[in-house]
Amino acid sequence: MQDGKGPKGYHDVGGDAAGEIPMVELPWLHWEKQVEAIRGLLGDGTRRIVSLDEVRRGFESFGVEKYNTLSFYRRRLEAMTDILIEKGIVSRTELDRAIEAGKVRWSDLDEKL
Amino acid sequence: MTRFSAGDHVQVLALGKEGHVRIPHYIRHQTGRVTEYCGTYLNPEDLAVGNTSGRAVDLYRVAFLQRQLWPDDAIPAQDTLIIEIYDHWLRSVKETENAP
Repeated sequence: MQDGKGPKGYHDVGGDAAGEIPMVELPWLHWEKQVEAIRGLLGDGTRRIVSLDEVRRGFESFGVEKYNTLSFYRRRLEAMTDILIEKGIVSRTELDRAIEAGKVRWSDLDEKL
Repeated sequence: MTRFSAGDHVQVLALGKEGHVRIPHYIRHQTGRVTEYCGTYLNPEDLAVGNTSGRAVDLYRVAFLQRQLWPDDAIPAQDTLIIEIYDHWLRSVKETENAP
């Protein structure tokens, strides 16, 4: 880079002009807490299956367009599943099947309510 | 024995590394002072690529003058930013006039 300070990723926005800051408290959704809980378990000292830094590396290589489209926890979720697949811990097929099963479970529940 | 102690003047290096690093662009080349030694941790640059058997590295808390980081006269002269920086991103410098 011209300024000699080395690479600056699209996520590295500290000090960039950002305009007005929206002073709104965002809700912490249940699924977002689940993402954090699973990430915590995958990354803890006894397992070391997926580290937080791996997750960061994951969303820092999404490409700026995808990165900016996704929310904070969506980025973490996407990067985490990418890495689980990359490492062969789960396969894409297994994951898709689990998502389908989950959708069925939730739609059954909706009908009962 | 750590390379730096609280009060030491240091400059943040620009290592030119690709991939995941924890040292934001805005702090590279800046000079500040070590406030605290935080212990040793696995290098996040190794962890980012799944390497959990790398050497643990020293981590320091380093203070910088906000005014030096952001060109804005409205910032009070005594305001500092404290950020954690790994040993390999720091070099020793002689006294600097703009370190807190």
